[in-house]
Amino acid sequence: MRDPCASVSELLERYFDRDVTDQEKTFVEGHLRDCQACQDELRSLEEIQTLLKAPVDEAARQEDFAWVWQKIEKEIQPRESPSWWESLRAWLGVSSFFHKRVWIPAAVAALIVILVSAPFLMKKTPSQLDSSVVVYLESDTNNVMVYEPEKENVTVIWLFEGPDKESPT
Amino acid sequence: MKIKVSILAFILVLLPLLTSRTFAQVQTRIRTIEASNVGSSVDPSLRDVHDDLGSLFNFTSYRLLRDESVSLTLNKPYEISAHREVSLEVTLVSQKKNSAQYRIRIRRGPSELLNTQVRLSSGRTVLVGGPKHGQGIVILALSARF
Repeated sequence: MRDPCASVSELLERYFDRDVTDQEKTFVEGHLRDCQACQDELRSLEEIQTLLKAPVDEAARQEDFAWVWQKIEKEIQPRESPSWWESLRAWLGVSSFFHKRVWIPAAVAALIVILVSAPFLMKKTPSQLDSSVVVYLESDTNNVMVYEPEKENVTVIWLFEGPDKESPT
Repeated sequence: MKIKVSILAFILVLLPLLTSRTFAQVQTRIRTIEASNVGSSVDPSLRDVHDDLGSLFNFTSYRLLRDESVSLTLNKPYEISAHREVSLEVTLVSQKKNSAQYRIRIRRGPSELLNTQVRLSSGRTVLVGGPKHGQGIVILALSARF
C-alpha cells in the first residue's frame, strides 16, 4: 500500500496554490489533521512564500504607479463616450451588421433605384426649351396660337374655338 | 433583427427620392377671367394685369370670375369649373429652384380642347384663352410664386 504522506506531499504544493479539486482538498485536509510532518511541510511552504513576498511588496510600495494609471485612464476615456455611429449601431443592435449579409438586399435595392432613375437623371433637355415657356402643346380639335411678346412678362396661348362650339347660356 | 435592418436600409436608400417626389409644392395663383365686348368695365381686382390684357387683346370688358391662390402638389390635378361645360385642369408636373412646370388641360364636356405644358418662373404669367363663355371668352391667368 502506498504511504499517505507521499501521496499528500505530491498534492501539497498544488493545495497551497489552491489548485486542487474538491476531492483532493478533502483528502489533504483530512490527512493534515493527523499528520504533524505534513503540517510542518505546509508551514515551511508558507514561510517560503512570506520570505519571497516581503521584498516584492516593499519594492511595489516604493514604486510610483500614478503616471501609469494616468496613461491607462487616458486610453480608457474615449471609449467611455462612444461616437454617434457606435451609438446608432448599438441602438439597432447591428454591431456585426457588416459581417452579416444583411446589406446585400439594401445594396440590390440601391442598384435598382440607380438603374431606374439614371435615364431620368442623365436625360439632357434641349437647350432651346430652357428659355421657352411653352414646353408642349396639343389640340386635336382646334387651332392654337402661342404668342410671347418680347417686352411683357406674359405668354399667351390662344385657342380658336368656332361659334358653333358654345352652347347658349 | 435582420428584417428590421433590411427595411431600415431600404427606406434610407429610397428616402431622398420619396421626399423630393412627394413634398414638392408650389404656391400658384390661378385667375379665371371672362373677356367680352359687352360693356366697357374692367374688374377692379384686374387692375394689375389690365395693361397686359389691353395690349394683347381687343376686348372692352374684363370680369374676374375666380381668383385662387393654391398650393399645388406634384402630380395632383387641380380642377376649375369655369363654365357648366368648360373645365380647366392645372397640374404641377415638375419643380426646380426657380421654376415650375405645369400641365394645363381644357375640356368641353367629354372632348379635350387643349393639352399643354408650360414652364413658369417667378413673375412670369401665362394666359390661356379662347374657350367661349357666355357672350365672351374665358382666359386663365396662371402665375407661380417661389
